[in-house]
Amino acid sequence: MRRRRFIQALAAAPAAPALLAQQPAPAPAPEAPEAAPLDFSIADEGADPVSKFFSARQFATLKRLCDLLMPAAPGSPGALEARVPEFMDFLIGDAPVQRQQLWLSGLDGLEYQSQTRFRKAFADTDATQADTLLAPLRQPWSFEPPNDPGARLLAAAKQDVRTATFNSFERNMAASGGKRPRGGGGLYWLPVE
Amino acid sequence: MAATNYDVLIIGSGASGGMAAYTLTKKGIKCLMLDAGPPVDVQNNQVSKPAWELPYRGLGNPARLPHVVQANEYNANQWVDEKQVPYTHDPNSPFNWVRVRYVGGKSLFWSRMSFRLSDYEFKAKDYDGFGDNWPISLADLAPYYDQVEPIFRVRGRKEGLKQLPDGNFIEDTTSWSPAVQKFIGEASKRNIAVTKMRSSLGRGQLASSLNLLLPDALATGNLTIIPDAVVRDITVDKNTGRVNGANFLDRHSSREMHAKAKVVVLGASCLESTRILLNSGIANSSGALGHYLHDQFYITQCVQAVMPEVRDKTAPAGYASGGGYIPRFRNLQTKEKDFLRGYAFDFSAGSTPDAKFFPLYGKALDDALEAHRGTGFSGTCMGSVLPRFENHARINKDVTDAWGIPVLHIQARYGSNEFNMAKDAINTMAELCRACGWEVLARHDQPLPPGYSIHEVGTCRMGDSPKTSVLNKWNQSWDIKNLFVVDGSSFVTAGSQNPTMTILSLSMRASEYLAEQMRKNEL
Repeated sequence: MRRRRFIQALAAAPAAPALLAQQPAPAPAPEAPEAAPLDFSIADEGADPVSKFFSARQFATLKRLCDLLMPAAPGSPGALEARVPEFMDFLIGDAPVQRQQLWLSGLDGLEYQSQTRFRKAFADTDATQADTLLAPLRQPWSFEPPNDPGARLLAAAKQDVRTATFNSFERNMAASGGKRPRGGGGLYWLPVE
Repeated sequence: MAATNYDVLIIGSGASGGMAAYTLTKKGIKCLMLDAGPPVDVQNNQVSKPAWELPYRGLGNPARLPHVVQANEYNANQWVDEKQVPYTHDPNSPFNWVRVRYVGGKSLFWSRMSFRLSDYEFKAKDYDGFGDNWPISLADLAPYYDQVEPIFRVRGRKEGLKQLPDGNFIEDTTSWSPAVQKFIGEASKRNIAVTKMRSSLGRGQLASSLNLLLPDALATGNLTIIPDAVVRDITVDKNTGRVNGANFLDRHSSREMHAKAKVVVLGASCLESTRILLNSGIANSSGALGHYLHDQFYITQCVQAVMPEVRDKTAPAGYASGGGYIPRFRNLQTKEKDFLRGYAFDFSAGSTPDAKFFPLYGKALDDALEAHRGTGFSGTCMGSVLPRFENHARINKDVTDAWGIPVLHIQARYGSNEFNMAKDAINTMAELCRACGWEVLARHDQPLPPGYSIHEVGTCRMGDSPKTSVLNKWNQSWDIKNLFVVDGSSFVTAGSQNPTMTILSLSMRASEYLAEQMRKNEL
């Protein structure tokens, strides 16, 4: 029975356009309002990063270092507000071993220096003490990386922490007067398939 | 449907392959072009994105492209995936092989610096006794430069310098800024010429094979382009010893195909063309195939200076801006003790020096950067590299790419000539800056690893003798007369000029010769 109805429907199908052509044209449907464009967020806006690469002590050293390299200024979030330590934990965790080693040994070295010279963690140093330990950053720039692993870390951190802060959502949000920043940036080359 | 037997199979669609197609199809020759990459739509393959939307905040995936110093998070997808198409080198002797696999090839992304070689390069051995001369001179190639430059719309200023021949330019009528005039004054006291940059304007967003060559070739109706075709080897007719096509694999499915043609033109880029020939086991009776690999050594920001007269916004607007080019000036009329040949610079004035150059951090660094806004002067050095037999690429049969094709092992080092030249270059640039009263913040005399310039050439070099060269003066294989190699691999020596205009001109010249030989039934 079902099969017969299906065959009847098929047989009737070619006639349908002709029948429709004899009907008066339907009134045009009212135009549907355009849907507003969807606004997406990035993960940093709605969630917290999970740090897992550096040890707790290394992470504390890193936080202090980030704060020294890129302190906050009025209306301009610094590295801590831009969650750069958490970002660096992710970035270096993804990096080749050689770069990881630079950061791991460099942060350990900074902590060791601090304990040796001031009997306190680098994270607890005051500005004067920290400045003593960051002396390699006051050396003239050389294209050849410094031999000392601690100095090499500081040179790398100065660049990476600065870039990560400038390119953070938080910094750009502040620059937009507290509104969610839109547009701008560079041209991103999409993957081609 | 049986496949067409084409007149010419062109492998590669960048500057050299594109020019071969442009020239041959206009003469009514039916061409099939294979390219290992996909077609791209430059308008739609790029989107504007703020750095904070990128997964790595603009710092880039730190493990993705270890050899591509030019890569950043914005352009990372432009470059060949090194895991998919690997190559090997001695860990102590790095070679930065930077590749693009799209229809249009590297011509999609090149710097557009557009120079002619001079007879100081074509006849280099006559000047200093090293290596070999090219089998052609500037007079042979000049008529082709004359045709190529208008296609690419090269802007420049005629200077009458023998070491940097003038071209068929769109005249550059811009003036020099006062800071650059001061620099030119100091340079001229030392007999160092400074020129306006010579650069391809192209059309729209591009100065590429994709928009300047391939559309005209397709419009003739004589060109068929197959993208995503990864060539494994060139095939040879056992009866005639002539090449008769190429085996290739579909990039997505690895399906194997064979394309037939009466003539094969290789324009897959210097090292890819060499790889294809080596994997095919042909065109190497000279033993020169893969050898004489050279490029130009680069030192970016070789000198970073600041102009005190601009500090704290004390200079009038427009005082420090613009840039220029210093063509080779060493070993022209005089002979240097420590090195042969010479180097060039490009330079720019009016930028803000990078934070890394200031021995400061925190707020003090921010204050210094603000005070030095627009005070920067920096140069990039581009030096001649001697073509040496021992610098070479060979097949590494132990490693294959994603399509099972054996990869290249590249062995290249700079020698004392390059290192001595680099020291002289940086001393000279630093001296010029100081003579202008500028403070040198940093200087760097160590060349970046070979390959960085993306100007690798020489591995299928042309020459006067089949015993010492792979190609004759028409870019034609000495061993197989219906095989041509038209890319930078055919160079004998590169000089310090960017090579693209020469590659395009050589390809046009070789293609005209090829067409004439076909017309006479001599191929």
